[in-house]
Amino acid sequence: MSTTRRSFLATALAGGAASVMLARDLYAQEGGPIVIGHQVELTGGFASWGYWHDKAAKAAAKLINEGGGIAGRRLDLVTEDTESSPATGARKLRSLIQRNRAAFVTGSVHSGVMLASIPIATELKTVYFSTGEATEATGSRGTRYAFRSGTDTYALAAAGAPWAFNNLGKTWTMIFPDYAWGHSHHQEHKAVIERLGGKVHDPIAVPLDARDLLPYLTRIPQDTEVLFSVFFGAQSVAFYTQAKALGLEKTMRMYSVSGTMEAIAPEDMEGAAEGVVVVENFPRMLRFKDDEFHREHLRIMEVDPVHARETSSRRVYAKSHAWQAWENLFLLKRAIEVSGWRTKRNDPDVIRALEGMEVPNSLAHPQGAKLLRAQDHSGMIDCYISRIESNEYRVKHMVPRAELQAMLPPRVDFTTQAL
Amino acid sequence: MSVTAINRTLTAVLLAVLVAAPWVLPMFEAEFWLAITAEMLIWGLFAASANLLFGHVGLLSFGQALYFGFGMYGVAIGVDRFGLGFWPALGLGIAAAVAMAAVAGVFAVRLTWHYFAIITVVFSLIFYFLALRLKPLTGGDDGLSFAPPPVARFGDVTLSLGDETVQYLVILAFAVAAFAFQARLYASPLGRAFAAVRESERKAALLGIDVLKVRWIAFVIAGGLAGLAGALFAFYGRYASATYMYYVVSGEAVIWTIVGGTGTLLGPGIGAALLTLVREELSTVWEHYLLVVGAVVILTVVFAPRGIAGAWNAALARLPGVRS
Repeated sequence: MSTTRRSFLATALAGGAASVMLARDLYAQEGGPIVIGHQVELTGGFASWGYWHDKAAKAAAKLINEGGGIAGRRLDLVTEDTESSPATGARKLRSLIQRNRAAFVTGSVHSGVMLASIPIATELKTVYFSTGEATEATGSRGTRYAFRSGTDTYALAAAGAPWAFNNLGKTWTMIFPDYAWGHSHHQEHKAVIERLGGKVHDPIAVPLDARDLLPYLTRIPQDTEVLFSVFFGAQSVAFYTQAKALGLEKTMRMYSVSGTMEAIAPEDMEGAAEGVVVVENFPRMLRFKDDEFHREHLRIMEVDPVHARETSSRRVYAKSHAWQAWENLFLLKRAIEVSGWRTKRNDPDVIRALEGMEVPNSLAHPQGAKLLRAQDHSGMIDCYISRIESNEYRVKHMVPRAELQAMLPPRVDFTTQAL
Repeated sequence: MSVTAINRTLTAVLLAVLVAAPWVLPMFEAEFWLAITAEMLIWGLFAASANLLFGHVGLLSFGQALYFGFGMYGVAIGVDRFGLGFWPALGLGIAAAVAMAAVAGVFAVRLTWHYFAIITVVFSLIFYFLALRLKPLTGGDDGLSFAPPPVARFGDVTLSLGDETVQYLVILAFAVAAFAFQARLYASPLGRAFAAVRESERKAALLGIDVLKVRWIAFVIAGGLAGLAGALFAFYGRYASATYMYYVVSGEAVIWTIVGGTGTLLGPGIGAALLTLVREELSTVWEHYLLVVGAVVILTVVFAPRGIAGAWNAALARLPGVRS
């Protein structure tokens, strides 16, 4: 049986069979629109990621509204730019909640912004999804109102480090920018490698503004088998280019996480990234998760299925993070509908619905099936370990979410907090 | 009637409006603006610290963010790491900023003009990068978030910053006290010594004024004001971050001061409020709103070099029957 786009959407969105006209009727019957805020990095250091978070959220909102909205009510997505600054991000969160009356917020990928936002969201009793990797957001600094559907440094270490230990080498050196994101990855990976019986050399922390990395690269011990690097943006390009120039890849394996080359195409690095192994949340190439939902997601996001490059520009989809901006709206839609939410007074019901929520692989959740674990409000998802070959991200190993969950005991239990 | 009398009357009206805001704004479903007004008051206080140095002593500082950051971290570390209550944490924040200013001031006040500006930036950068590195203490680039302790308890009644009215009134009270303190300071012999040093340090020295000592005192007081602003901002945001210690934040204080009026009492507050308002309204519709802020600054420097407050005072003085 052939599947038309309309019938596909209807099935995938479970209830999306309604036409736009029907949806209008439903809005009229059920009440006013539901406002969801999107706190996103449209400008500043994270703008290359924020562009995709914004595009993904808007596309998801459009899809939801085309499918009849949320519980028959139109979804109004209100977007605010954090300017990649915690101060601005926190202010914009207040603006979303207090000025724009956002009932829920899907938030920032910037660790500083999301950690500044969680206390405010909690105080204003508003469900807040962060999309960055700082472990604290769903750990020591998390609350009953804070959720994250993606991975943090704890999960990325649990997903990738054991495979890398078994397949790449036992003696590790870690090099990273001298700030919290890098240190957090170092601590989590070091713990896993040492637990497995490996050796981890002293870390090499590089100043944030360093572009000449030679003084740091020459400090890498000769017996290093795995060089684990975590950099961001221009410094990441500088790292791979200069490491390649030194020929480091000939004596050691290069290993990293998706954030290092998020929104960057290997082909733009002219071979410097060749052979690097990376943990991904969402495979960059369609063929490694080749299903109709992933395909349709890429079509809507207007990116090619191989390099995830935007068809109308040179931009590369920040795929391992921006899917959360898309999926968070669908998680909220599901929680609202399951809990029967009508007003802010019903927020505790939405939180209870989100805690432990399981969702299937679908157009609503193109990254794949997942569990939003009740205790730590963290997404348990499939992860992918890919190697860059011929400028393509080729998946070498998939870590199923059940396996990840087993390696990732919750460190907190938010369900004990009062609502 | 004099310009001073008119300005005093308007200040009283402004104060009455600010005090009434928590009860008036909800009538228009505009509670959000209470938070923004609180932020304006804090930034106004911060701009006042830059103004004290630049407008009253003639020292252009691009390092006030350092003391703002010390105020923030004093509060955040006090609450989060030491479990301090509101008042001890606030005291720790201000004391940390004052102590830092006292030490930095010993070196900085020996220099003037661009050398002074550079050393203030250098101090700011040193501690900015230090704060980024000391993750166990400062939270690094992720910052330090915390739940604010209650402001006070009266029997069963607890005054909490979670209540927006309480938070706003606490910030307003400190801002009013700080500006009242500055008014007294500038009218005092020490304030006149500031002005003498600003106009000509050589002539001031000939009058028997210890120029370095006066500059140092001004530097420490300005550090205290910035520290108070930072401490209040930490409570307001429930967060401290090294990003606030970056010299760009100091630059904003200078811009607010220039736009509002250097050397005036309320000018920096007016500049901070105006540009916060511009930012708040424009940033929601245009992400490159800073271009407008830049244009406002250029127009101010060209057409009103004494800032809004200076231009206002000049306009009042030109009115018939008004004495300057």
